[in-house]
Amino acid sequence: MSLLTGEGIHSGYGDMEVLHDVSFRIEEKEIISIIGPNGAGKSTLLKTIFGLLKPTKGSVTFKGNSITGLTPDRIVRLGMAYVPQVENVFPSLTVHENLEMGAFILTDDFSARLEDVYELFPLLKKRRRQRVGKMSGGERQMVAMGRALMLDPELLLLDEPSAALAPKLAEMIFERITAINETSVSILIVEQNAKESLKLADRGYVLASGQNRFEDTGENLLANEEIGQLYLGG
Amino acid sequence: MQILSRIPQLLIYGVISGSILSLGGIGVSLTYSILGFANFAHGDFMALGAYIALGLFTLTAGLGIPSTPLGPLSFGFGFILSFILAMGLTALTVVLIDRFLFKRLRHTSSIILMMSSIGVALGLRNVLQFFWGPQPHYYIEKIQLAIVIPGVGVRIKPDQVFIIIAAIVSVGLVHYFLQHTKMGKAMRATADNMALARVTGINTERVILWTWVIGAALAATAGILAGIENKFITPELGWQMLLSIFASVVLGGLGNPYGAILGGMIIGLSEEVSTAFISTGYKPAVAFIIMIIMLLIKPTGLLGKRR
Amino acid sequence: MDTIVGIINYIVFFAITAGTYGILSLGLNIQWGYTGLFNIGIAGFYAVGAYTAALVSGPPPGAWDGRIFGGFELPFLVGLLAAAVVCGVVALLVGIPTLRLRADYLAIATIGIAETIRLVLKNESWLTNGVWGLQQIPSPFYDPIHRGVARFLGGHPDLSPWVHDLIFKSYNWFYLLLVLGILFILYLIMQRLVRSPWGRAVKAIREDEDAAAMSGKNTFSFKIQALVLGAMIMGIGGSLYAHYARFISPASFKPLYGTFLVWVMLVLGGSGNNKGAILGSFVVWGIWAGTDFLTGYFPFSATQAASLRIIIIAILLEVILLCRPQGLLQREKRPPTILKKKA
Repeated sequence: MSLLTGEGIHSGYGDMEVLHDVSFRIEEKEIISIIGPNGAGKSTLLKTIFGLLKPTKGSVTFKGNSITGLTPDRIVRLGMAYVPQVENVFPSLTVHENLEMGAFILTDDFSARLEDVYELFPLLKKRRRQRVGKMSGGERQMVAMGRALMLDPELLLLDEPSAALAPKLAEMIFERITAINETSVSILIVEQNAKESLKLADRGYVLASGQNRFEDTGENLLANEEIGQLYLGG
Repeated sequence: MQILSRIPQLLIYGVISGSILSLGGIGVSLTYSILGFANFAHGDFMALGAYIALGLFTLTAGLGIPSTPLGPLSFGFGFILSFILAMGLTALTVVLIDRFLFKRLRHTSSIILMMSSIGVALGLRNVLQFFWGPQPHYYIEKIQLAIVIPGVGVRIKPDQVFIIIAAIVSVGLVHYFLQHTKMGKAMRATADNMALARVTGINTERVILWTWVIGAALAATAGILAGIENKFITPELGWQMLLSIFASVVLGGLGNPYGAILGGMIIGLSEEVSTAFISTGYKPAVAFIIMIIMLLIKPTGLLGKRR
Repeated sequence: MDTIVGIINYIVFFAITAGTYGILSLGLNIQWGYTGLFNIGIAGFYAVGAYTAALVSGPPPGAWDGRIFGGFELPFLVGLLAAAVVCGVVALLVGIPTLRLRADYLAIATIGIAETIRLVLKNESWLTNGVWGLQQIPSPFYDPIHRGVARFLGGHPDLSPWVHDLIFKSYNWFYLLLVLGILFILYLIMQRLVRSPWGRAVKAIREDEDAAAMSGKNTFSFKIQALVLGAMIMGIGGSLYAHYARFISPASFKPLYGTFLVWVMLVLGGSGNNKGAILGSFVVWGIWAGTDFLTGYFPFSATQAASLRIIIIAILLEVILLCRPQGLLQREKRPPTILKKKA
């Protein structure tokens, strides 16, 4: 049984359909990368999976149960977490408080989990009393991912985690993503930075004009000349 | 020099009225930051609290609960009990108004909510006027002698000391709530970004509920303290202060409860000190002019963040 | 027959007031209905209009007056235009610091200006005669009409008494025609305006200010123009009120009640629709007058009855917002292509 499957998803904003018949699957402990040009519907797909948008057709199944049409607050309790591309932290809260909010739905002690997250992002531990609004883009991205990991999700959805980051920082974020994956969290990542994300992905999907165009292992997609020319900048 | 010699005394009055404005302002600011609209009914929540306390006080007196003045204060246990119960009942009423009205309009726009709050303001005020009439009702009939603070020669009544202490305690509790409790932090998180709060799993409906509860309880406190200061209450009590409260909130930074406290103090002090120079009747206009100047210089207010 | 005469006279009085509110409602419609500006200081503009007209067209200060200024006894139309101009200037002063900000700031500032205006009316006796207000504001064209009526009645001594009574009151008929005439002229101007490029621009701002700004429109300037124009219309309404009531004082312009009624009128009638604005003013004024009769049947004191009437209107507003937010008449539907092309 796949961890997450999407079948024939149609979705969009109001009358404007962005996704036309998209299907995919994610196995446990996989990193899946979805690449494609701007406006291909990558972010729309993540929002639809996480219940921020309702698919007009098709279904999403998580751990064998349909989650089609569930609201985000229900889905988050099932073990899926989502990091939006922008505005993904609470700027007036400290690092520590941001992570605490990530554990909002937990009623028991979460200090062990907090330590795990600090272990993944040692920098955050050092800065835990700092307000996130005053931190750099890369640090904010770490806070955002840390917040999402507080519930110990089985699946993490990342929307362009390297967008607007300097290459070195982006590299560090990708390296952290691999580290998160090694703690047996499956990851679905949507990226403009296609080359980097395919390098660490087990498999990848190419999305264009709201439809699946290719599906293969990360290596094969990187090696594919047509994709290279069309989507990876030659 | 005659005018200047009055200023220390006016500063004391300013701190008292600033305390009341701050408590009113915190609620306006919290509602704005969480629900995104300027609540014009907040002044009338204050009046509601003051009248509920009045009703309860009559009731406790009827039940034989002692109300012999405590120490130097001009009111006793029965009054303080009514005070605390009134905070709760005001919060309950406001939560019900939210359930029946504001909650159903939340999917529309902030302007519709603002318009609706004007309807609530007038409705509530006239409910009070319907039952109690437009005439003043006396809270405290006893005349209290002021203490003269030696050295500076300013006078302050024990009741006024009570007002200032009650305000400090309330502000301290709000601060503790916002900084050190899970719900308080969730409230700040929701104010930052409600969409992200939902995605994170924060129960934003519960946050909204708490916003109303705290705002209303503080409104009741402000209304009752205003009643103690003036010795009487009218249904217009809150409305008369609303403009100054809005000015305080805008001055401190709309949406920031700490700004509301700072703004409330500045407006309270300015209004009182202005009476040394211009007619007392212009107090609200002083607040209004300070607000306009702030909007021209820095619309986000003294402590506000960019929106 | 006396009752019929009474009823007819009441209807005339009713229509004059509703028509005046219709003018205020049209003014608010250009601000809120078409441009999306939240002005809750209508009572302030209304008062400024009324006082300006009274000071320009009214008599000079009497021996007992506290005021030492005004009373130029200029013609009615001069006072009416002055009322519009002064209101426009006040609106400009409110708009400049607030119209670049979120709608809430304008709302707070307009209620502040209304309150400040009320304080000035109360305290600046040299100008406004304080709480005693301004009296003996002339009725425009009263003398020629009165003379004509007197001549006619003198020539027809055999009229039955009730016809005589009705004709005797014909100045009110004239005033009704004056109010409705001005209302109609303003309506025609507004209709033309909202269909002009200017109207399309302000509607685009109402729908999406950012998009309108991005398409190169100076949204701040358009918003100022709409605020000023609406306030000028409200000033005209104020001047018509002053000349009809003939006596005005700060108590005539309770800050929120007047403002609130106009808002309910526009929201009920249908904001963004000029016919709706006028319809709403007649319907709500009808309901308002109706509650006056209704509360008379209950054993309430006068102040209780007054409170109850406001509670009813407040509930009416909430019911409209919950159940029919678009009002009785919806916005006029325009082919969306016009907006799209511009945007």
